[in-house]
Amino acid sequence: MSIVTVQLGQCGNQIGFEVFDTLFSDSHSSQGLCSKKENEAYQASCKERFFREEENGVPIARAVLVDMEPKVINQTLSKAARSGQWKYGEHACFCQKQGSGNNWAYGYSVHGPRNEESIMNLIQKEVEKCDSLSGFFIIMSIAGGTGSGLGAFITQNLQDQYSNSLRMNQIIWPYGTGEVIVQNYNSILTLSHLYRSSDALLVHENDAVHKICAKLMNIKQISFSDINQVLAHQLGSVFQPTYSEEGSFHYRRNPLGDLMENLVPHPEFKMLGIRNIPQMSENSLAYSTFTWAGLLKHLRQMLISNAKMEEGIDWQVRPPISGLPALGKMSLKKELRFNTSIANLVILRGKEVQSADLEGFKDPALYTSWLEPDTAFNVWKTQRAFNRYEKSAALVSNSQFLIRPLDVIVGKAWNMFASKAYIHQYTKFGIKEEDFLDSFTLLEQVVSSYSNI
Amino acid sequence: MGRRRRRVDPETGAGAWTLPEVIAALSRSLPAGPSPEIFRRAKFDRPEAAPALWRLLFHVLAPLPAYGPSTLPAPEAQARLVKAVLRSQGYPRPVLAQLPEDGSQGSRELLLALSWLLAREPLIERLLVQARVQLGDQVPEFEGEALASCGPPTSHMGAQVPTDLRYVQWLMGKLWFRWRHLISSQQEQCTLLGKIHLYTRGCHSDQDLGHLSVTETEMLRDPEGGQQLLRALGWENARLTAALEWRRWELVFWQWMDTVPGICPPEGPAAASQPPVLPRIPEPGLGELERVVQEMQALHEELQEAATTRRVAWEAQASVGGPGRGPQWSAVRRASQEAVEQELAALRRSWEQGGGPAPPQGHRLVRREGSSARAQGLRAAELTGLLRDQEARLQAALRQLQGQCQQELARLAAALPGLIWILPPGR
Repeated sequence: MSIVTVQLGQCGNQIGFEVFDTLFSDSHSSQGLCSKKENEAYQASCKERFFREEENGVPIARAVLVDMEPKVINQTLSKAARSGQWKYGEHACFCQKQGSGNNWAYGYSVHGPRNEESIMNLIQKEVEKCDSLSGFFIIMSIAGGTGSGLGAFITQNLQDQYSNSLRMNQIIWPYGTGEVIVQNYNSILTLSHLYRSSDALLVHENDAVHKICAKLMNIKQISFSDINQVLAHQLGSVFQPTYSEEGSFHYRRNPLGDLMENLVPHPEFKMLGIRNIPQMSENSLAYSTFTWAGLLKHLRQMLISNAKMEEGIDWQVRPPISGLPALGKMSLKKELRFNTSIANLVILRGKEVQSADLEGFKDPALYTSWLEPDTAFNVWKTQRAFNRYEKSAALVSNSQFLIRPLDVIVGKAWNMFASKAYIHQYTKFGIKEEDFLDSFTLLEQVVSSYSNI
Repeated sequence: MGRRRRRVDPETGAGAWTLPEVIAALSRSLPAGPSPEIFRRAKFDRPEAAPALWRLLFHVLAPLPAYGPSTLPAPEAQARLVKAVLRSQGYPRPVLAQLPEDGSQGSRELLLALSWLLAREPLIERLLVQARVQLGDQVPEFEGEALASCGPPTSHMGAQVPTDLRYVQWLMGKLWFRWRHLISSQQEQCTLLGKIHLYTRGCHSDQDLGHLSVTETEMLRDPEGGQQLLRALGWENARLTAALEWRRWELVFWQWMDTVPGICPPEGPAAASQPPVLPRIPEPGLGELERVVQEMQALHEELQEAATTRRVAWEAQASVGGPGRGPQWSAVRRASQEAVEQELAALRRSWEQGGGPAPPQGHRLVRREGSSARAQGLRAAELTGLLRDQEARLQAALRQLQGQCQQELARLAAALPGLIWILPPGR
């Protein structure tokens, strides 16, 4: 089943390109460490999901590119075409001549309605070229102007028009010390709107990915391209094909649907974090070998100590002893040390994957009281290696990962709101103070729900 | 039981059938039918006949498309299902429920159960219709009405383990995702069917149909599949022939069955010579029925009261407003009488229709170009019209149920002062 990607704004388009590029080059990699037949099945599955064929043979990404200014889109289109391996559809983009000055309200209330028909038509054309539609990826930042306001508007439209298709928003969490002064306003407005119209919010934190680039990949001058490649690697490790069940060698048809059913069926708990291991520069890759035991031990500790990467993990954090209240139930003010999970999905790719032991992830102490580990923990596997990593593991987690960052943003936004700073920029375009209050209420509720699991 | 001599049938001149031949025809027409010898042994309650009869009853009663040859449940599970279905259909003899599920005894009881099933409805014909080999692509079955008529679930919650509400919400969410996936799959199926129909235009020898169905396309692609289809059609023919033979000679069987209850042990309830056909009364139904009757009576009284008050008020008004009884007045009166009659008629129609005309089943999907008027068959527009009506009825029923829920919630909220309701984030 196919996924249509909507790339929104500068952020969405740059990341989208890296995602398709990673997916394509991985599926055509010769270092899959598997038989030719298996490789072909893997390729075909990836292709059906993310690309479509046209007459002259170069696969076309199932994507719609949207931005308010042409520069980034043109760059993206030409980068794809230059590769000669795949490209974007000729008429798959929508752009205007002017930006929106990082104004969420302008994106949501003006750009959105004005260009609704054209954008939804583009999406419709792409959907019609799918034999079967699983759902949509919407890649956007939450703090900028175009991506965030327009993205919220479009996600709502997708909910109205394609209510039976799934919607996963890949959202880019801004740097803590971001440059846009109203980024917190934009973030809370985006998040609250998305919470109502999206099925799952897969969060990529800029700060975390930046650290990965610096510490693990040893990149000196970190560019957006580096960050986006790490992000693409993370996404690819989740959505590339995996076997449909234990012991089967058929690839799963609908990973998006399976993921959502396993992780986000509850309407209050939609925030997903993503971790993967190992992550290293290409040079180091050739010299490293891993065992599943080592990888999974680190991944588990990353989960329970809320570490963003495999370096600097706090090994002191332990699951609470049963019978005592979980540490997570303490008030938010105190350090939330143990990360309680609602549900987890672990994806294993590579050599000897059948021998990996996942008992550590089935410990009931890791999970809430109202979900059995049998239900809460899921694992997908394939022995086909991903992106030249002989063994790699990814974790998509619906847990308390994001309470702290969310709380920080809400707090900062509230402080600004209390003095009504910059509100006129929003009220000018139809966003009322009441909308802000609604957003605060919703997000406070989300924080509270997650804190009390 | 001695061998009966074949008598000459005065009608056809052909030899009348013996009991073993008739039972053999019955067996051939049923799925998993056992040999006539099993039936004979069952009459004498021989234990070795029991497993075959359990198996037969399972295949007759279970919704077979759900079970492929490799996923058949264990014999104990099969026996449990047989018991459950017979109970829900109102099988009158309690002996059956007490039979052990390991298939070691009860063959006579099972024989009686089988003949009970055969007597109350055209069982064989129904099974044959269900198991038909379909050559065309069928319009999918519409089960909305069946679901709607389930009504609100009777609460079986006693003193059970308190379930966290969040877990219930989790399960609801999973159900919702599965539902959406089902719809997406159906849309995918439609797209692909459309493509196949489009690409095989002009390939069918029957001009009326014009294009191939999926089964026919597969048959052409894969000759082995064609052979399998042929075999399936052969089996179906054999069963149909057997069913016809059974219908012709079944009296022989019933005459024999008459002798079976007579040799049942005296503790068992005396069964009539032909088991009575019992209407199906679902277990909670009786209580429901009484409640419905009471509600209807209450409603009737309410309406009458309302009607009388209105009439009195109107008459008072009419007499106050002066003797407005000219020709104008009678015209108005006639018009309003007609309007009322029409409304009543419409109400009665919709009541009688109950769920309305069910969309007809068993139609083959055919794609046609243009709007050529054909006499037979159902056009897509008509079918969608029927479905829209059905949808509207179900929506109305849903709104009514939601209204009831809201009233119930309001009542509960009123009972607990100081309780604050926080609604989940919606749009």
